[in-house]
Amino acid sequence: MRSATVKTEHANLGQAILFLAVSGVILAGIFLSRRGRQLFIRRIPGLSAIDESIGRATEMGRPILFTFGLAWIDIVSMQALAILSHIARLAARFGNRLIVPLADVPLYTLAEEVCREAYAAEGKPEAFNPDDIIFLSDQQFAYAAGVIGLMHREKVATAFYFGYFYAESLLLAESGQIAGAVQVAGTPATTQIPFFMVATDYTIIGDEYFAGSAYLSREPTLVGSLVGQDVGKGIMLLLIVAGTVLAVLNKIMPGIFTQNYLAKWLGG
Amino acid sequence: MFGPKHGAELWVYIGATAAAFVAVFAVLHWLPVRFKRWLVVVCAFLGGLFYSLEYYLPAKHRWFPGGENPLSPLVIPMGNAVAVVSGFALALGLINLGLVHGRNIARARPGWYNSVAFFVALISMIVFGLWQSYVPDAARAAGLGLSGRQVHRVYDVLFNGLFQPLGATLFSVLAFYIASAAFRAFRIRTAEAAFMMVSAFIVMLGQVPVGQWLTQGLPTSVGNPLHYLRVENAANWLYSTWSMAGVRAVDFGIAVGALAMALRVWLSLERGSFFEVRESKK
Repeated sequence: MRSATVKTEHANLGQAILFLAVSGVILAGIFLSRRGRQLFIRRIPGLSAIDESIGRATEMGRPILFTFGLAWIDIVSMQALAILSHIARLAARFGNRLIVPLADVPLYTLAEEVCREAYAAEGKPEAFNPDDIIFLSDQQFAYAAGVIGLMHREKVATAFYFGYFYAESLLLAESGQIAGAVQVAGTPATTQIPFFMVATDYTIIGDEYFAGSAYLSREPTLVGSLVGQDVGKGIMLLLIVAGTVLAVLNKIMPGIFTQNYLAKWLGG
Repeated sequence: MFGPKHGAELWVYIGATAAAFVAVFAVLHWLPVRFKRWLVVVCAFLGGLFYSLEYYLPAKHRWFPGGENPLSPLVIPMGNAVAVVSGFALALGLINLGLVHGRNIARARPGWYNSVAFFVALISMIVFGLWQSYVPDAARAAGLGLSGRQVHRVYDVLFNGLFQPLGATLFSVLAFYIASAAFRAFRIRTAEAAFMMVSAFIVMLGQVPVGQWLTQGLPTSVGNPLHYLRVENAANWLYSTWSMAGVRAVDFGIAVGALAMALRVWLSLERGSFFEVRESKK
C-alpha cells in the first residue's frame, strides 16, 4: 500500500539559525555556571512567597493544595512537577498535609511518584498519603467543582496554582480566596494571568514560571540556563528593534528598502 | 507497516503488539534504577531529536531519498503511539478513583455517601454509555429482551440532563466571581491601580451600546483627530496597542523560557523532579 505524503510544518533557514543561536546561548550559560561562574538571579517575589506560604500552613496546622489545572504532560507540567517536588519536600519536612488534585491521568502517576520520592528524601516515607494525590476528572468544570469542594472541606491554608489553566482559573482562585487561603499562581496561559493577578496573593508572570526550578533549587545547571534564557530574550529584543527599524525604513524609503528583509528571512 | 490491517493479519499485529508490551514492561520492571535512568535519558533524547530534525530539516531536498523529508511520514504513527500509551493510563485514573472512594466507604469517613454517589455515577455512565454505542438500534435491543429506547433515554438524562447543566451552572458562577474579583482589583490605592481602573472603564464602555452612545456626536471619519476620542476607538486602541504589546512581550518570554526548559528536559539536565531524589538515597 502506498502511503500518502504527510504535510507537516518545517522551519526555514532563518528560523533554524535563530533556534540554534538561542539554544547555543542557553547551553553556554549552563556551561559557564557549571564551571563555577557566579551568576546573579533577581528576586522573584512570587517564587520567594512559596516557602513563606508553606510556613503559614504549618503555623495554622491546615493543609496545602497544589493544582496543575488542566495541564497534561508537557513542558509546562514538567516545570510544575519540579516546583511540586520542592513544595512536597518542605511539606514533608514541616509535617504539612499536601493535597494534589489532578485532571490528567498520566500526570497523576508522575505527581504521585514525585511526592512519594520527596517524602522519602526527607526521611518520612510513612507520612506520605497516596489518597491525597487524587485524580478528580478530566472534564473542566467537574474538575473545578472537585477542587473547590476540597478547598472548602479541608480548609486549606495555602493554595498553589502551577500549570495550564483555562476558564476554571478564576473559579479556583476566588474559591481559594473565600476559603481564606494564601494563594500563589503561575501559568504560561496569558489569557488567565489577569484573573490570577486579581484573585491571588502572588502571581508569577511569563518566563518567571520557567525560572521556578532554578530559583528554588539554585542548582548551577538550572541557574546557568536561566541566565542564558535572559540573554536569549535579549537576542529577541534586538531582532524586534531591528525589524521595527526596517519596517519604518521600508515605509519611508521604499525605493532603497524595498522590503522588510528581516521579516522575510524569518518567514514573516 | 503503519497502514490499516484486516483479517488474520490484524490479529497477528494485535498479538505481536501485546507480546511486545508485556516484554517491554517486564524488562522495565526488572531493570535496576541506574539503567532505568539511562533508558529515560536515551528515550527523551531520541524523541526530542526526532521531532527537532523533522521540523528543522526542510520538507524537500535533493539529498533526501525520494526528495522528501524521510521523518515526516513517521510523525502521525509516533503521535498515535503516544496516544495509545496515554490511553492505557486511563485505567490508572479509574483505579485511583476506585481506591480513594472505596476506602472512604469502607472506613465510613465523613462524607462517605458522596463516594457511593461516585460509584453509582461511574457505573451508570459506563453501562449506559457503552449501551448507547454498541446497541444503537431498538431492534437489536429487542433481540436481547430489552427496550433500547428507554436505555438511550436514561443516557440522555444522565449526560444531557445532568452532566451538561452541572457544568454550565459552574461556568455561570464565573460571572459573579469576575464581579467580585474586579471589585477588589479596582480599589484605587496606588497610581497603577488608578491607571488600570480608568483603562478598564474605557474598555468596558467601548464594549456596550451606552458607551458608544455617549460619544456618538464625535466625528467618525478617520481623517479627523477627534475620531480617536470615540469610546469604541479609544477602547480598541487600548486593547489592541497597549494591552497587546504587553501580552506579546510576555509571550516572547514564555517562548524562550519554554525553549530553555525543553532543552534541559531533552538533554536530561533538568534535575530535582525525579531522579535526583532517587540517586540521593543511594
